[in-house]
Amino acid sequence: MDKLKLEILTPNGQIFNGEAISVTLPGEEGEFGVLAHHFSLATLLDAGVIDIEKEDKSVESILINWGVVNVDEEKIIVLVEGAVAIRGENESDIAKALEEAKELINSIADSNPAIASVSARIESAAQSLI
Amino acid sequence: MANLKDIQRQINSVSNTQKTTRAMKLVSTAKLRRAEELARRSRLYADKMNQVIAEIAGRIKCSKIGGIDNRCFAEIENPKMVDIVFVTADKGLCGGFNIQTIKAVKSLIKDYKEKNVKVRLRGIGKKGVEFFKYNEVELFDSISDLSSKPDKVRADEFIATSIEDYKDGKIDGLHIIYNGFKNMMTQELHVSKILPVDTEQFECSETQSSMLEIEAQDEEHMLDSLVNRYVEYAAYYALIDSVAAEHSARMQAMETATNNAKDMVKSLNVQFNKARQAAITTELIEIISGVESMK
Repeated sequence: MDKLKLEILTPNGQIFNGEAISVTLPGEEGEFGVLAHHFSLATLLDAGVIDIEKEDKSVESILINWGVVNVDEEKIIVLVEGAVAIRGENESDIAKALEEAKELINSIADSNPAIASVSARIESAAQSLI
Repeated sequence: MANLKDIQRQINSVSNTQKTTRAMKLVSTAKLRRAEELARRSRLYADKMNQVIAEIAGRIKCSKIGGIDNRCFAEIENPKMVDIVFVTADKGLCGGFNIQTIKAVKSLIKDYKEKNVKVRLRGIGKKGVEFFKYNEVELFDSISDLSSKPDKVRADEFIATSIEDYKDGKIDGLHIIYNGFKNMMTQELHVSKILPVDTEQFECSETQSSMLEIEAQDEEHMLDSLVNRYVEYAAYYALIDSVAAEHSARMQAMETATNNAKDMVKSLNVQFNKARQAAITTELIEIISGVESMK
């Protein structure tokens, strides 16, 4: 199966750079998936989760608060404001990360003033990952 | 020859200056490390943002389909008014750092004047603002305390005026001029045209598909918010890059100053010793001639 190149960047650095089989992105109009050789596309992303299906079929999830994606035949570039990757060593770690991420999404959806604090938290999380 | 007391006083004053410059150098070195780290991490994002914007702009230019008619991506003929935003430091004592930026601003203003284009000058940083005020060059508005402590929210607010005016057609261009960080020893002047998005470097090639699909209910909204983020980030990045450059320039300037002071103390010491020796010799001659005359 063909692979696509994917780059995800935040103002605090790169959080993903590698190859993937497919990517699911939280577009403003709803989720959409991208496979290799996708038609050129540019769109905005809303707060949500990016699912990356890697070569070994494992799925990595990254929570974002806002972003823009540029897809062309060769690669996908995703620029996001703040992001937190949901990954961990063992199951409890992952579950914890997931819970935190869910909390973040809820607070984004609930009220606007919360977004600022959420993005700060996401950013600090992203920082600790770099 | 100056008398001993004067020379001694001068030596003391120069070595005090040396202490100050050395301390300032150390402070700048510490601040530089933090600022550089921040600039380095953001550089990748800023570069990619520029690349994405340029690609979208290029595709819009090449395809000319879909009726995308956004002012930010259009070529504007006969511009009447442009915004120039410059970033200087709030403080001096950093060598030619501020004056380089000011010179670039002046030459850009001159270029536009020759083309009969009005320039609206917006300043960030006390030093540049003071310079233009002193030379009675009109500033549209200015902000201080921002270039020494870059703050995303305040930077966004400041640049928002330019974005709005551009979209409303009040201005026909936006430039950002700042002195950026290249490495520990050199700064690099950036004169970048932010709006309209520069599409000249993008070649319409046959091999690359020039089709672009924009997945949004209305393309205007998507391009608008993308451009907002792009300009805001360009302005913010200019600030953090400028801070890193400022500290590296100050570090260098203070290093040179410390060395100069060292050399000066050295030559003053020689002068002091010579003067002291001369005084001793004179005294001896006086004693000897006194003894001679008593014989």
